[in-house]
Amino acid sequence: MVNKLIKEDTKMFLTGNEVLAYAANAAEADFMYGYPITPQNEIMHTWCKLLPKTEAGFLQTEDEISAGFSTLGGILAGKRAFTATAGPGNVIMQDAQSMAEMMRIPFVCAVMQRGGPSTATVIYAQQETRLTCYGGNGEGFRIVYSTAGHQDLYDYMIKAFNTAWKYRFPTYVLADGYQGKMREPVMLYDPASRGIKMVPVTPSLLGEGQIGIDRKSVHMRNTYNMEEELMEVLDSYQVDYDKMAEEVAEYEEYKAEDAEILIIAHGIVARSARTAVDELREKGIKAGLFRPITIRPLAVKPLRNAVSRAKQILFTESANGQLAQMVLEKLYGLTTPYSTLYKMGVGVTGDDLVEKVESMVKSPSVV
Amino acid sequence: MARTKIVLAGEGGQGVQSIAKILVEAGYEAGKQVLYIPNFGVEQRGGVSIAFCQIADETIGEPRYSKGDIIIMLSDRAIDRCERYVSENSTVVYDTSVCTIKPECKCKNIIGIDANKIANEKLSARVFNIIILGVLLAATNVLELSDIKNAMEKALGKKFDAKPELRELNYKALEMGMNLVKEKAAL
Repeated sequence: MVNKLIKEDTKMFLTGNEVLAYAANAAEADFMYGYPITPQNEIMHTWCKLLPKTEAGFLQTEDEISAGFSTLGGILAGKRAFTATAGPGNVIMQDAQSMAEMMRIPFVCAVMQRGGPSTATVIYAQQETRLTCYGGNGEGFRIVYSTAGHQDLYDYMIKAFNTAWKYRFPTYVLADGYQGKMREPVMLYDPASRGIKMVPVTPSLLGEGQIGIDRKSVHMRNTYNMEEELMEVLDSYQVDYDKMAEEVAEYEEYKAEDAEILIIAHGIVARSARTAVDELREKGIKAGLFRPITIRPLAVKPLRNAVSRAKQILFTESANGQLAQMVLEKLYGLTTPYSTLYKMGVGVTGDDLVEKVESMVKSPSVV
Repeated sequence: MARTKIVLAGEGGQGVQSIAKILVEAGYEAGKQVLYIPNFGVEQRGGVSIAFCQIADETIGEPRYSKGDIIIMLSDRAIDRCERYVSENSTVVYDTSVCTIKPECKCKNIIGIDANKIANEKLSARVFNIIILGVLLAATNVLELSDIKNAMEKALGKKFDAKPELRELNYKALEMGMNLVKEKAAL
C-alpha cells in the first residue's frame, strides 16, 4: 500500500501535470512507468518528487515502447500502475496499448497532446484525439475521458483507475499541453470523502501458491491460431464494450436546452466555448454547448437529442475535425446543418467562436 | 466581470516565465481567480517565450484569448509574434533598450521603457525581469505591491535569506519598474 498524501480537502495552485501525479496518488496508484516527452514530463517529475513520502515506485524506461509494456507487466503483477505520454511517444506506445485491449489489461494512461504530425510543437493541440481513441491495430476498445481543466484532471484521473479496473479496457485521461503546463487553482481531496471506493486490484499472474495445486493456471492470450477463434473473442469484447458504454458515457451541456446554434467541442476548447456562449447570449444569440466528456465511447442518445433540437451545429477543435469525424458517424440520419472552426495545433479562443457563430447567424450553413 | 488578460513576451532566457509565475502566485494568494499558460518552443535559450496570464474576480473560462489588455514585448521577435494580440483597447509596453523596432499597432496606449538599460546601468542585469514585474504590477493595477512581495518571498526567499542584499536589490528593481509606468502615464 502506498501512503496517500491528501487526507483532507486541500486547495492548491498547481500545474495540470502536478495535479495528475497527486490524483494518481489519491487513487492509490503504486507504480508509474514512463519516458520523458514534453509537455507531460512534470507528471513523472512530481510523482518522483513525492516518492519519499508516498513510498510508491517509478521506473524510467528506455523509450515509450518499453514504458507501455512495462506498465502492462506491472498491472499483470497486481500493481495499480499507470503511465503518461504525448505526441510521438503516444504513437510508439500504441503496440502496448493494443495488447492491453487484446488481453483486457486495466492500463491507465494520461495523454498530454502536443502539436503534430511528428515532432511539430511541444506546446498544445487536440491532434491525438483519433490516435488515443482508435490507435493501434484493433477496434479501439478503449475509454477516453477528455478533460477541460485542473479539477477535471484530478477527478477523472481518479475515475480512470476505477473504470479501467472495473471494465478491464484501457482507459485514458486525454488532456493537452495547455492543461499540463498551465496553473490554476484546484481542490484536491481524498476520494473516500466523496464516497469513491477504489476498485481493488488483483494480480492476473504471480498469484499465491503453486500452479495446478493451489490455483489454476492463467492463460492470457494475445495470439490466436484461427480467424474464427479471434472473432469469437472480439465479438464478446464488443458485447462487453457496448454494455459498458451505457454506464460510462459522460457529457456536459451548457445552455444547450434552447440553443439554436449548438457548439460541439471537447477538452479545453469546450471551456472557450462556454466563454463564447455567455458572450453570445448577452448579444441575444441563442448559443449552447455540447461537450462529450467521454469521447470514446460517446454519449450517443443525448448527443443526438441536443443536435436534433438545434438549428445549426458548429464543430470546433484544435485539430482538423478529429472529434467531428467520430461524432458525425453517430449523427447518421439527422439533417441539422453544420459549420466548422478548426485550428490545427492552435488554441481556440472565445472571440474566435463569437465571430464564427455571428457569421453563422448572418449566413446559415446548409451542409 | 473584471478580468485582466496579459501577454508577456520576450526571448527565452529573459525571465519572462519566472515573473509570470510570481505574478499569478501573487494573484492566487490574494484570492483572485488566475490562469497562466507558458508558451515556448524546444529551445533551452532563445526563441520567443510567451506567458499568457489572466487575473479575474470570477471563474475563468477560456484559457487562451485573442486579444490582451496588457501586452509586454521585450524583443523584436516578441513584437513580431505578439502584435496579433493587440486590440484597440490594449496597452502595449515595449523595451526601447532591447528592441530596434517599434510596435506598429492600433491600441489604446504604447509605452516605451528602457528597463534593460536601467538594469545594466543602475542595478544589475539579473533583475531586468523584476523591473518588468514592477511594470506589470503598475500597468495592470489589480494587485497590491505586498501581494507581489509575498510571492517573491515564496519564489526567491531562500536566495534572499542567504544574501539579504538581494532582497533590497529586487525590491528596488520592482519599485523602479512601477515608476517607469507611472512616469509615462503622467506624461
